[in-house]
Amino acid sequence: MEVHKLWEYKEYINVNGMMLTNELISFLQNSLTLLQVENHFKHIQYWGQLYAVDADYHIACGINDDAILDRKYYYSTDFKFWGLLPKAKKKYKHLSLLATFPFRGEPSLKLKVLDEQLEENNPERCLIMSEENRLAATISNICEEAEICARGQLIKQPSGTVVINPNFYGLTAAEGKHLKSYLHIRLAQHRWNTNLLTRQDYNYSMDFLDSVDQDIPNGCWNLSLERGGTVAYLRSLYWPGMTYFHKIRTQDAGFLYVGNGRKNLDVPFLL
Amino acid sequence: MSQTFLLEPDIIAATENVMPDLNTDLVLAKNYLKQQSAATGDSVYDHLVDIVQKLLSQKPPDVVDNFEQYSWEVKQDKFKPNFDLLNDLYMSPPQMSLTRSMDQMFRLVASKAEKLGDIGEEEQELDLEEDNFKPRITDLLENNHYFKEGGYGLPDNECYAIYISLIMLGIKEPVATIRFFGKIFGTKANYYVAETDLTIEELDRRIREFELKDMPGEGEGEGESHHSEEEAEMAAEGEAREPVSKEPVRPKMPPEPTITWTPPAPIPVERPGQGVNRKVYYVCNNPGEDWICLPDLTPDHIRVARHTVRCMTGDLDAEVVTFPPFEGTERHYLHAQICRIAAATSVSPQGFYTFGSGEEEEDLDMEEGAGDMAFNLNPFYHGHSLKDLLDSNLTYWVHHGRYILKQGRTIWWNPNAEMEEGLEEEDEVEGPPSVPPEIGPPLFTTLAEDARIEGLKPWSTRISSILVPERAVVTIRSNIWPGAVAYATGKRSECMYVGWGLKFQPPNFSPLQLPKPQDEYPIGPEVMEMADPTFADEEAYRIAHLPPPPPPELPGEGEDFGEEGEVENE
Repeated sequence: MEVHKLWEYKEYINVNGMMLTNELISFLQNSLTLLQVENHFKHIQYWGQLYAVDADYHIACGINDDAILDRKYYYSTDFKFWGLLPKAKKKYKHLSLLATFPFRGEPSLKLKVLDEQLEENNPERCLIMSEENRLAATISNICEEAEICARGQLIKQPSGTVVINPNFYGLTAAEGKHLKSYLHIRLAQHRWNTNLLTRQDYNYSMDFLDSVDQDIPNGCWNLSLERGGTVAYLRSLYWPGMTYFHKIRTQDAGFLYVGNGRKNLDVPFLL
Repeated sequence: MSQTFLLEPDIIAATENVMPDLNTDLVLAKNYLKQQSAATGDSVYDHLVDIVQKLLSQKPPDVVDNFEQYSWEVKQDKFKPNFDLLNDLYMSPPQMSLTRSMDQMFRLVASKAEKLGDIGEEEQELDLEEDNFKPRITDLLENNHYFKEGGYGLPDNECYAIYISLIMLGIKEPVATIRFFGKIFGTKANYYVAETDLTIEELDRRIREFELKDMPGEGEGEGESHHSEEEAEMAAEGEAREPVSKEPVRPKMPPEPTITWTPPAPIPVERPGQGVNRKVYYVCNNPGEDWICLPDLTPDHIRVARHTVRCMTGDLDAEVVTFPPFEGTERHYLHAQICRIAAATSVSPQGFYTFGSGEEEEDLDMEEGAGDMAFNLNPFYHGHSLKDLLDSNLTYWVHHGRYILKQGRTIWWNPNAEMEEGLEEEDEVEGPPSVPPEIGPPLFTTLAEDARIEGLKPWSTRISSILVPERAVVTIRSNIWPGAVAYATGKRSECMYVGWGLKFQPPNFSPLQLPKPQDEYPIGPEVMEMADPTFADEEAYRIAHLPPPPPPELPGEGEDFGEEGEVENE
């Protein structure tokens, strides 16, 4: 969610009974504006909160020229110091899915993760990773699977760069009821013409991302229209705590993750 | 376009050496732009006019960068159907359906408030009696304020609507106390849950109904036993008739195996107002709709609910397809989940509640019936300091939800109670081994004694404010039931649940295995598959089992042997 609009969005975002407190918003706006200026970001977004035992992590995302490739993630536990998250390695992404124990709130902590799939004497069976790497990997996993936007919120310019659409006027009520109107913020994983041609009213500058309705299984995204059909909410069942809201026919939209950073693998049983 | 240059007048003009004229050029260009497209009947000229008109009237910033999109939007606007042309169709705003039910609710509550106001003015004496009828509703608005301070809670508009609908519940249903339990998300609709105590009259009525329902149940049991007796008689007759039949006697078959397994006696349901059915829950999908009472729970519901994971759908009559099979619809499942959540996550600071009324001197016997004793707000509670409440050992927080035993009841039921009575009378030693009674932690056990999961503390405490500790609220959230929170500040405390109704079960859920098929007969060498003996094996066997050569020293005995052998052969 855009940091400078947190006060307006406060009433809309409500993840698992969690609300943004006034103090949290004040802290975030102050420290993240400073961070934005230091790093010359075009946009800065509050990404969410990861529960840990000792202190919770707050995550922010700075966006520069390209809204998909040019993202940088920062974490903080006290709003005074924002640390840049390292790039998530594939190895750690795998390990972070295996780790069942909670985050501690101490980035330099070394964790041992046991991969029970491998054989007894395989040296890779028990690996060590730091909590910072685990945090980066977890967030990268969540981003890949559950970071979403409404169709038209991101547009591809003729030069190929993706930007946040400044003239986004929101989905209509009819569009808001369809999962097809919500897109993943990631490099497309389906073929480009799949994403384009599954729509009647396709648009080259908008339909370059994967839409949410192709996720497996059907129903892993829970779409509900609330407040008399004026606000659309999307909740991910795979990452409980990830909520996306969009106020129909307005520019207001954003997502927030508040949770313990564990992927819920029981989804097929839930539906 | 290239054709236009080849047209005759142009060629003529070129040959006549006429100088180009600006006006004709303009006319030509304009004519070209006004060419209508065959598909839409639109022209570039009109389109550009529309764009320019839109840009100048709306004056958006940075048009050049997003010109393509503007052009696209102008085109899109043309396709909007205009209903007003043919007949005056009014499209009501989407909020309409919600507004209807809310409006009805507001009317009802307002009329009730007016009536109460009138009575209060006219007869002050009767006011006291009236108070008895008025249900006690916990102040949701104030509690929500504190929850929001702590970073949880519901948005204001939702909260207010729920508060009014709780008042409506108090007017419509026979309840004595009402508390907002929380919100449970569903895939199609969400549930708002109210936790209530029934009025004494209603509770008595339900208990009577419950006992009546129990009686025919016993009747059925007798019927069944009668039936089985009949079956036994039939079988006996069948056996008796067998020798009489004149058909060739068939080889006598071994008796058909009988089922020795008897189902364990069903665990009795706790009556309304006791154990898991102590509180009565009402749910609705939207504030303003009618509250629906959830049916009583059986221990079996809780047992099955513990073995499954499932999302609510939002439809109370939805089927619950699980293994082991769940008897009931989603309303039973919802009730079971609510009870499990309430049992695990009802927490309050130590001393917030007390047994008995609190005002009288307490010399209550803690041992007797501590599992199902009533408790009340403690008038002498003065609150704890922030430091105590934030303590990570959690010794200042206690459970006030009754622990649900493995049986699915809060009060242990002895399955051998009747047998044991019999044993005492007859002084026999035989009988099923006595089951050690399950004992859960008593009420008001501190959270410090909760089981850890994966080295994770089951509760996390947080303070709401670093800058202003005087105003701070302590919140505590459950890690086992994500979404369950409680707050405490000064003399106030409350808990609430907003979530999916799912328990955090590391590592993952795995469905219960099917029971192993039972053996039909004991496994032995007769029924086991093995290789046929070869000729060599048989030879070896024959040689090994040859009759021992007759000892030559004792010929007399040898003869005896032979005689006996002959006798046997005869």
